[in-house]
Amino acid sequence: MGTSRFPPSIWGGDRKRSAEPLSQLLLRLMSLRGRGLWFRRPERIPDAWAGSGSPTSPSPRAVELLFAAMQRHLGSYPLSPGVRVKLVSAGFQTAEELLELKPSELSREVGISKEEALETLQIIKRECPVDLSRFASVSISGKKYTALELLEQEHTQGFIITFCSALDNIMGGGIPLTKTTEICGAPGVGKTQLCMQLAVDVQIPECFGGVAGEAIFLDTEGSFMVDRVADLATACVQHLHLIAGSHLEEEHQKALENFSLESILSHIYYFRCHNYTELLAQVHLLPDFLLEHSKVQLIIVDGIAFPFRHDFDDLSLRTRLLNGLAQQLISMANNHKLAVIWTNQMTTKIDKNQSMLVPALGPGFSGCSCSLSIITPGRTFREPPKTITRWKRRRIIFKDFAFVYMCWVRFTLEIFSSVIKGNHQVIINHLLKHLYRIYLSKNMVVNIKIHKYIYIIH
Amino acid sequence: MDWDQLELNPKVIAAIKKAKLKSIKEVLHFSGPDLQRLTKLSSIDVQHLLKTVSLALRNNCVLTGAIYICTEDVFPDKRLQQLIALQHQLRTDVPQDVIKKIKFGNSIFIEHAADIDALFECVTKRAPILLSRGMVRLIIIDSIAALFRCEFGIQHSITKAKYLQTLGAKLHQLSSGFQSPVLCINQVTDTVDERGLAGTNLDVLARVSPALGITWSNQLLMRLMVSRLARELSRDTHAAATGTVVRTLSVIFAPHLPQSCCHYTVSAEGVKGAE
Repeated sequence: MGTSRFPPSIWGGDRKRSAEPLSQLLLRLMSLRGRGLWFRRPERIPDAWAGSGSPTSPSPRAVELLFAAMQRHLGSYPLSPGVRVKLVSAGFQTAEELLELKPSELSREVGISKEEALETLQIIKRECPVDLSRFASVSISGKKYTALELLEQEHTQGFIITFCSALDNIMGGGIPLTKTTEICGAPGVGKTQLCMQLAVDVQIPECFGGVAGEAIFLDTEGSFMVDRVADLATACVQHLHLIAGSHLEEEHQKALENFSLESILSHIYYFRCHNYTELLAQVHLLPDFLLEHSKVQLIIVDGIAFPFRHDFDDLSLRTRLLNGLAQQLISMANNHKLAVIWTNQMTTKIDKNQSMLVPALGPGFSGCSCSLSIITPGRTFREPPKTITRWKRRRIIFKDFAFVYMCWVRFTLEIFSSVIKGNHQVIINHLLKHLYRIYLSKNMVVNIKIHKYIYIIH
Repeated sequence: MDWDQLELNPKVIAAIKKAKLKSIKEVLHFSGPDLQRLTKLSSIDVQHLLKTVSLALRNNCVLTGAIYICTEDVFPDKRLQQLIALQHQLRTDVPQDVIKKIKFGNSIFIEHAADIDALFECVTKRAPILLSRGMVRLIIIDSIAALFRCEFGIQHSITKAKYLQTLGAKLHQLSSGFQSPVLCINQVTDTVDERGLAGTNLDVLARVSPALGITWSNQLLMRLMVSRLARELSRDTHAAATGTVVRTLSVIFAPHLPQSCCHYTVSAEGVKGAE
């Protein structure tokens, strides 16, 4: 929180200096936002920062900010100590309570002079991003959901199927929509292949079980090969023709008329990002893109770790930027009901004279997604994947609401929660079965902590 | 060279003709200030000239060259001369007079980098100049592992990782910015553990794994491994009879290729595929 009396100006100093390069400005704005410092002229916040929303119906993010502002403790404001002591002893804790009063009422309640009361209220109002009265018609806590409604929503949401039954089973139906998924693994293990496959599979028509959507592919490493995607698309079209041939209904044949190689390739929107600024900017601009292309159901970020792992001396800035990026992706997944997938690298972590491979960018980043880890080396699958037949088979471990560390030396299995019901029970069963198999084969170490659970037993 | 073909200002063309510069390659061999002195044009005009000329070079697919950065040993110049001299024997599909006319040696730029700073300077400062002029379209670094394995001990692994990541990012930038492939040569280390390598079929590959670890592997798009086969295993009877060693090139990982391998031999005239 700001230690100076006035929040820092966006433009960083006197206006006579010439404009700084766009990337620097973006970086400064993003880091300011992450730290929770308020802008000096709140009505100038561009919509991209505050999220899509208008003054009368604010975006969820603006409401969050406002709510946080209201709950800010009085001790964090630059008030004089005497006034602060009197306010606290009168029972005022947060800014929200103060703003309801007029200056004369405040001075009478607290026992300070009218000038001091006026000054106090001015300080507090200045530090708030927007005026409270604008949102008088909207409740500050936002829309309420009960857990039962959330459960029903989860059941009805779609999945992106992959036609690989092992993968679909272990994910409880496929890649879930409205959620973020992380795929991490050693280099060369097949993460980009899986992403390309999903970019094709998201377009499968609904009568075959797909979601009939489009895909956005954000590429940071340049590993997107169109020839390979064309192979995958051709194989998918042939597979669907086979399925349609065995069904006698008209709708399967009709749906396949528009499903060809050209249509598949033309519905994958590809963006190449050369550094982290471009990636962050592209993700910021995605909500506008999604408004124009409402059929997009999948966002893939291939290589989210690569631009962030070099060129960063200030690791706290990197953490802030990554958290902001993750939040944006999560909010896009929720608001537009699409699936977000990103691929992460593995890095070596040395811990008490042992080294293990963990996902890069830290545990905080991985923990905000329901993740899929691919680890090497591969023992063969029991049932080979149908669409990836020419390629080496890999073992896939699934984690949902869990954080799995794959380690080669020691085996520990700790499960901290048992209050999980609903369709996730199936996933947990699969996970446990697979883990016991690993344990018995005595060549892997698994350390699981389940740290999120939201369902109530019904 | 018909300078009127290029979209240049007439006064620039007149200045070039007066300076008696006959071909695009001659222009590109001079540095910016040298050109300014020769043609007596302003720096903006010279920059425009260089840009137009490089574009023409790339568009016309005129022969372009390669940068070869040596870190391990002196560049084997004799072998290069031998290869150049015997190139017509290797490439029997191209008419001999065409090959004889190409001056291979002029297009290969060799740089010796003895330590990491020299390597970084070459990659960040010198390579972009040649790449932007279109004089090279290929960067070869022989080898990456040599510098990083000897200059960093175990306790400096974090610094080593940082340098590797920076180098990888810089090479990515050059490659995507100038549409040029980058070929890096790496060494191998022995692995004691059989499960150490990312799933390959060949026995010989299960015993060695690439050096520099997962940090460098994360920077790569594609990895190929070369190895020698024992003579008895090779199916090429001619090679087995004459005693040449058959080598294998296999794809370890690539985003667009399945895991496959091919065989080749190295003879006096160069690398030739074998069955």
